[in-house]
Amino acid sequence: MACTTYLTRVLGYLALHNRKLSPRMRAVMEAIPGCVLVSVVAPYFASGEPADLCALTITLICAIRLPFLATVLIGIGSAALLRQMMVF
Amino acid sequence: MPSSIIRSSVAAEFRRGLVESMPVLLACIPFGFVLGTVAQARGLTLVQVPLLTGLNFAGGSEFAALGLWTSPPNVLLIVAITFLVNSRLILMSAVMAPMIAHLPRGRAMAALFFMCDESWAMALADAAKRRESGEMRLSVPFFMGSGVGIYLIWISTTTLGAMAGPLLGDPRVLGLDMAFPAVFLSLLKGMWKGWRAAIPWGLSLVCAVLVYVFVPGAWYVPAGALTGVAAAFVLAEDRQ
Repeated sequence: MACTTYLTRVLGYLALHNRKLSPRMRAVMEAIPGCVLVSVVAPYFASGEPADLCALTITLICAIRLPFLATVLIGIGSAALLRQMMVF
Repeated sequence: MPSSIIRSSVAAEFRRGLVESMPVLLACIPFGFVLGTVAQARGLTLVQVPLLTGLNFAGGSEFAALGLWTSPPNVLLIVAITFLVNSRLILMSAVMAPMIAHLPRGRAMAALFFMCDESWAMALADAAKRRESGEMRLSVPFFMGSGVGIYLIWISTTTLGAMAGPLLGDPRVLGLDMAFPAVFLSLLKGMWKGWRAAIPWGLSLVCAVLVYVFVPGAWYVPAGALTGVAAAFVLAEDRQ
């Protein structure tokens, strides 16, 4: 498992080491980070719990408006509060 | 440049990486705790938990592996799922490759061990700022400060979680799991380059949600990521 993980870490580097990228490949590469991040958090958007979805919306708004740490703290706080208040 | 200045700037960059990663480090703490608790409940010992998180160091695959944990574990299945969940790291190291091309190969390979979602995102967000001032190379000490910080936090909190987990209560009641999307949504905002550039992200999200709902397992991560990459590829052609 550890070897597999390390392999994924170095594979992209070894395959693309010292290679010039076309503008198109560069555009694709620039889009990758966001694509990976939203895919990893997808289960939160698919949650069936209204409290979770409300907390996620609050977190999303905070992420747009507020700095990093405030977003994390409000995200945690809103999830804890809403889960207590919104029991169905 | 005298070597003492280089050394101090390396140390300063390492410290800057560590300090700027503080919010990320804090966000890792609840996850480490939760993972340690889950691992302990799955029967891993206090030695096995830091071995798992220290040698592998990729949280998503560790959660997935614990979900598949049986006695004896199905090693092939766990290796295959690990590869799928971590397939994003291939894309991520490919993105980093041109920015660390100035490093000797051995040092680059060693540095890449510390590449995880968070340290990579921190280093790339920093690199984007540096590019505005004409510096194309990634600040490797900054990346290492972030990566090593996350590594130490990850091992220590997963171990603490395994020790204290049973006493902590339900992490969901405390809302701790919401730290994860909070961190990632903040990182996304930092990468924002307008609506057009965000189209692949939207398609990734829709595809990942659909696959998550309808297909069991961790397929939603590679499926969502590849959908967005394909969309970015097509959109880039439109522009030319």
